[in-house]
Amino acid sequence: MNLKRLEATAAKEIREMLRDRFFLILAFVSPPVMMVIFGYGMNLDVENIPFVIVDYDNTPQSREYASHYTHSRYFHFLGYVKDQREAQQLILRARIRVAIVIPEHFGRRLAQGRSTAIQTLMDGANPLRANMTKSYIIAINSQVSLQQVTDFMATVRGIPRREAETMLQPVRLEVRYLYNQGAKSRWSMVPKMIMMVLMMAPPFLTAVAVVREKERGSILNIYSSTVTKAEFLIGKLSPYAAVTAINGLVLWALATQLFAVPFKGSFLFFVLATMAYTSCTTGIGLLVSLFVSTQAAAIVVTMIVTLIPAMLYSGIIIPLSSMGPVPRFLALLTPAMHYTQIVDGTFLKGQGLLELWRPLVVLAGYGMALFVIGHRLFTKRPRA
Amino acid sequence: MTPPWSRLELPPFLERLRVLTVKELLQLGRDVGLIAFIAYAFTGDIYVAGSGMQMQLRNATIAIYDGDDSAASRELIGRFHPPEFRIQALLSDAQDGLRLLDQGRTMIMLDIPSQFERDLSARQQTAVQLQVDASNSVIGTWAAAYATQIAATFGTDHAMGGMPTEAAMPIIASHHRIWFNPNSMDEWFVPIIEMMNIVTMLSIMLPAAAMVREKERGTIEQLLVSPLTPIQIMLPKVLAMALVILLGITSSIVMLRYVFAAPIRGSLPLFYAVSLVYVITTSGLGLAIATLVNNLAQVGMAVILALAPIMLLSGTWVPAEGMPPGIRWLMYISPLHYYVEITLGIFLRGTGLDMLWNHLLIMTLLGLVMFTIGLLRFRAQLR
Repeated sequence: MNLKRLEATAAKEIREMLRDRFFLILAFVSPPVMMVIFGYGMNLDVENIPFVIVDYDNTPQSREYASHYTHSRYFHFLGYVKDQREAQQLILRARIRVAIVIPEHFGRRLAQGRSTAIQTLMDGANPLRANMTKSYIIAINSQVSLQQVTDFMATVRGIPRREAETMLQPVRLEVRYLYNQGAKSRWSMVPKMIMMVLMMAPPFLTAVAVVREKERGSILNIYSSTVTKAEFLIGKLSPYAAVTAINGLVLWALATQLFAVPFKGSFLFFVLATMAYTSCTTGIGLLVSLFVSTQAAAIVVTMIVTLIPAMLYSGIIIPLSSMGPVPRFLALLTPAMHYTQIVDGTFLKGQGLLELWRPLVVLAGYGMALFVIGHRLFTKRPRA
Repeated sequence: MTPPWSRLELPPFLERLRVLTVKELLQLGRDVGLIAFIAYAFTGDIYVAGSGMQMQLRNATIAIYDGDDSAASRELIGRFHPPEFRIQALLSDAQDGLRLLDQGRTMIMLDIPSQFERDLSARQQTAVQLQVDASNSVIGTWAAAYATQIAATFGTDHAMGGMPTEAAMPIIASHHRIWFNPNSMDEWFVPIIEMMNIVTMLSIMLPAAAMVREKERGTIEQLLVSPLTPIQIMLPKVLAMALVILLGITSSIVMLRYVFAAPIRGSLPLFYAVSLVYVITTSGLGLAIATLVNNLAQVGMAVILALAPIMLLSGTWVPAEGMPPGIRWLMYISPLHYYVEITLGIFLRGTGLDMLWNHLLIMTLLGLVMFTIGLLRFRAQLR
């Protein structure tokens, strides 16, 4: 490996990058912009669910029951409607997500100590939200039931309410949220967005950088020159890896300053791991560039191979430990999942090399492997 | 040999359109890598997105430290069962649980105190600890809510032992009727959304790339000296891409129908019509981008930049009601938002044009605005 030739290749690439002002702006501006958009917008908390109530009972008890929903931050009350049919129409028009139907004799049955049932109609088109909504409703129903039963027991047995409560609820579950005490969606989401953004831009930059030479024919200069394959690839990719590393730091600053997410772990380790991750994402770009011959194809291919795995298999939506065997296997294949462990660990769990050496080794190995494969596949004597 | 349709006399405008559309299709067809990946995007990618993604609480991993080891504690543990929970480890030391949590190998740890059964039989309240990894806040809070439910039911069942049956208690039962996707089949939702994202991406990307390629290679000069108006240059690109995308949609629908067994409750012709309108109008954005940039690398960056907010604001992952009010207004001007509502309406809710016409109208108007901007910018640049 001749350092001088490597330097020349890198210098050429940097100059090309600097002269393309628009590209330069996009390369440095788009990652922070995406980070801001995702950081504010990617809120998976299910709140403000629009709903209506159908109250066939219309008694003080039923209105009291309704107030549990109307005063909840999870629900957004749009009013009473007169029957189920009207509620159904609203669901069909996607105006509301849920309708709560309070049956006739609701108040009377409860007062007599008899059971009753609440009917809910739900829009199931978005299953994540439908399931969350369902769990909120179940929680409200059991809370109200418990109050009712407690009152009932207290009256029937003639014991103080407090005693009835202890009797009915002998087990108290004390929940403590680790790493993110308030269970804030932003704390959990923003660090993972660093992973997303660094997965989107860099592969694409590198893929286009190589394919551009192919498409314009300037790669023939490389083929005929004394530059070796390794020199060319390293010289070509390192400027983009550097851009990405700088972006990584900017994103880190945004996460900790703008979004005020605590960073509890080792910064040095985070930088190291981010560099390893960068080598993977640029490596993916390199591989793509070897398979396609036009820049348009390079753009489409990188988007498809990076975006979906990063979104669905990295643990943003479901944690690795909850995945079934096939998704788990796919997740293990994506560098995004390993880097997610690193961002979670360093930001929220306060970890460093000691706990996270494994994903770091995987990422570094992954990056190396991609480069070696790229080196093997890249040829200076392409078949015509 | 001349193909039969060449004898068909078309008015000059349409004839030029036809010739150029064929040229675009040929050009696209020769980029084998691109075609292969478009095909992958509409089939393989949608398959990957749809299989194995679940959005229910499933297999939440739990490690249990049972300090009591009594009949009561074992009964409580028995209630943390699949599909919601999966017991990852039974610990002999509570410290091990914290280590598993740190390593991300379990999501929850349940810690049952030693006097659990004694307290229960003495009718005293007893506290059970639950440590939850909240680095994924949504799943974390969800699992905690489930666990709270389990503990409460366990407590009530225990207290009710030997007492009158439930019917004689003022208990409110929850009866749910979930529409359109009664078993909350995630396999339907995620791939449908993914299909729409891909349609959006390609309908911005492909025309923009086709246009910039002409610029980059200099072939745009040939088009400029030809007797073609800007719209005659622009439209064939859009039409060719729309055709390719509709073909892609067809293969996705076949996948959805036969691999994921999704119900297509509404009218398919309506869906195609809506998609055609969407693809053509969205391409306006791609053409506008094409006028701003000079080479394909820039197209890619600009498309990624535009696509991220469009997807986010589409209301698929985060619906309007979950957004802060300022951003909510941005959603109402995102055409994808309406396209998603219409598509979910047609596929899952089985709604027809009578209920979707207002969404369709807004989508078309927004799209026309976008397309007009693209066309105007394109014309301005050609002068």
